[in-house]
Amino acid sequence: MQVRHIVLPTFVLTIATVIGCGISTAPTTTTPTAAAPDARYVLAEEPADAQPVIAVRMASKDGDEVTITGRIGGDVDPWVKGRATFVIVDPSLHACSEREGDKCETPWDFCCDEIGHLNQSKATIKIVDDAGETIATDARELLGVKELQTVTIRGQAKRDEAGNLTVLGKGVYVKR
Amino acid sequence: MFFRPLPWDYGVRNLWRRPGRSALTMLGLATVVFLVLLVTAFVRGLEATLAVSGDERVVLVHSLGASENIENSTMPGRSSGLLAASLRRIESRFGERYVSPELYLGSEVTTAGSSVPCKGLVRGVTLAAPLVRRQFQLQSGAWPSAGEVLVGRLAAAKLGRDPRELASGQTLHFEGRDWTVSGQFAAGGSALESELWCPVEDLQQAMKRQDLSLVAVTVTDAEGAVDLAEFCKERLDLEWQSTPETAYYAALQRHYGPVRAVAWLIVVLVAGAGVFAGLNTMYGAVVGRVRELAMLQTLGFSRRAIALSIVQEGTLLAAGGSLVAAAIALPLVSGAAVRFTMGAFNLRLDSTALIIGMLTGLAIGIVGSLPPAWRALRMPVVEALKAI
Repeated sequence: MQVRHIVLPTFVLTIATVIGCGISTAPTTTTPTAAAPDARYVLAEEPADAQPVIAVRMASKDGDEVTITGRIGGDVDPWVKGRATFVIVDPSLHACSEREGDKCETPWDFCCDEIGHLNQSKATIKIVDDAGETIATDARELLGVKELQTVTIRGQAKRDEAGNLTVLGKGVYVKR
Repeated sequence: MFFRPLPWDYGVRNLWRRPGRSALTMLGLATVVFLVLLVTAFVRGLEATLAVSGDERVVLVHSLGASENIENSTMPGRSSGLLAASLRRIESRFGERYVSPELYLGSEVTTAGSSVPCKGLVRGVTLAAPLVRRQFQLQSGAWPSAGEVLVGRLAAAKLGRDPRELASGQTLHFEGRDWTVSGQFAAGGSALESELWCPVEDLQQAMKRQDLSLVAVTVTDAEGAVDLAEFCKERLDLEWQSTPETAYYAALQRHYGPVRAVAWLIVVLVAGAGVFAGLNTMYGAVVGRVRELAMLQTLGFSRRAIALSIVQEGTLLAAGGSLVAAAIALPLVSGAAVRFTMGAFNLRLDSTALIIGMLTGLAIGIVGSLPPAWRALRMPVVEALKAI
């Protein structure tokens, strides 16, 4: 009789303990939080002459001064951890979250867009100091930005033989 | 002390009064503790293998989105040269940069002893591989030349074959051609030890491929890893991604999280079963000694002293069983090789595993004795003296 009294609570307790331990496999990444932006690199007014990414890729040459606008994304992880470098895509592209019924967990990678040439719609942004070195602070901390935000960057275009576009940014306007 | 305990010898002698029952109880407890040690050694071995497999200064560059399945990654053959020429913070010695181009795949391997192929892990490498993989140690034989293959210490376990079939001079067959074993290597207990290493050009020729799976790079400092990540983001046309090796194996650790959770569940369930087995035996022991326990009370021993003596008996049996289990498990379990999807590993019966096993055994002994001891306390003396 007593054994029966002991068996049931012990069994329930055992199962509850094990379930309580959790079997979660979700990755535990430390994402820098959007802090107060650094005023030295943030533009108060949106530049009037901004061009979308595709247009800048078509028209710019290495060393040109450009003003480019786009949305942060184009990759599951558009950031470089610990450095003010990130990827933007042309604002004409649609994020997965803008499609009805879509439940994509990383809508900023633009994987649902049927554009077929996502790479030709992307540009890499590096926020640089006066010496031309990339700022060694995560862009999310430096500018207070996050995925899918629209940003406009004023800076210098850097082109390579493969057609990649990198903008060495001096100032960023963040559309809130 | 608030009560006079029964002499220590009394509990010990009681165990010898019923040697058959005591021996069977100890055997049951030893079995339970052995199973606990076995599962704990499995979890500890798996964790240890994945923990030592990542080098914090090594970064893996592979195709975009292949970080969880590098076998599916594909990069141009010139990738290692491009990386070496483009980045500054790469380790180098005597002009040799630590950049290792590798072709990595799962392949069907046939050994001389069997015509049935089995799944093995093959890595095409160059002489840069031992520079980047710092745990690498050539244990016997020589670095593989054309048509040769170097086998890891646990490759035989991964293939499920007798190690003699992978000894130097033996012939293996994979990717449509024969390969002669040139020697054996160890890699500090890491996952690399389950692999077969052959010259990357030979493997490319055998597979009629010109591409690579990944390039492993040793960076000089943490900034070097950030440089690599930034390079991959700038060269959007290449569609590359960099993953620190430690992050790669940490992701695998998470991947195997459910396996570890189930293993711990088994430990808990086995230990729970042990508690009930111990409980049953101790109940039997108490029921058979009701008159004796009542007599002890009549002689002036308190109920707590009698209960303590019963717990002492249970704990002694459990401790004996735990020691027997450890004595069997140490030579039998520790170091045994086990196959799993991404290689093989050794069961690890280290101090942590032993402590878990021993504590589980003692807990079974104590917890299993408490309810019978409680029953002994509750029985009225006069009634118990009359019990048959």
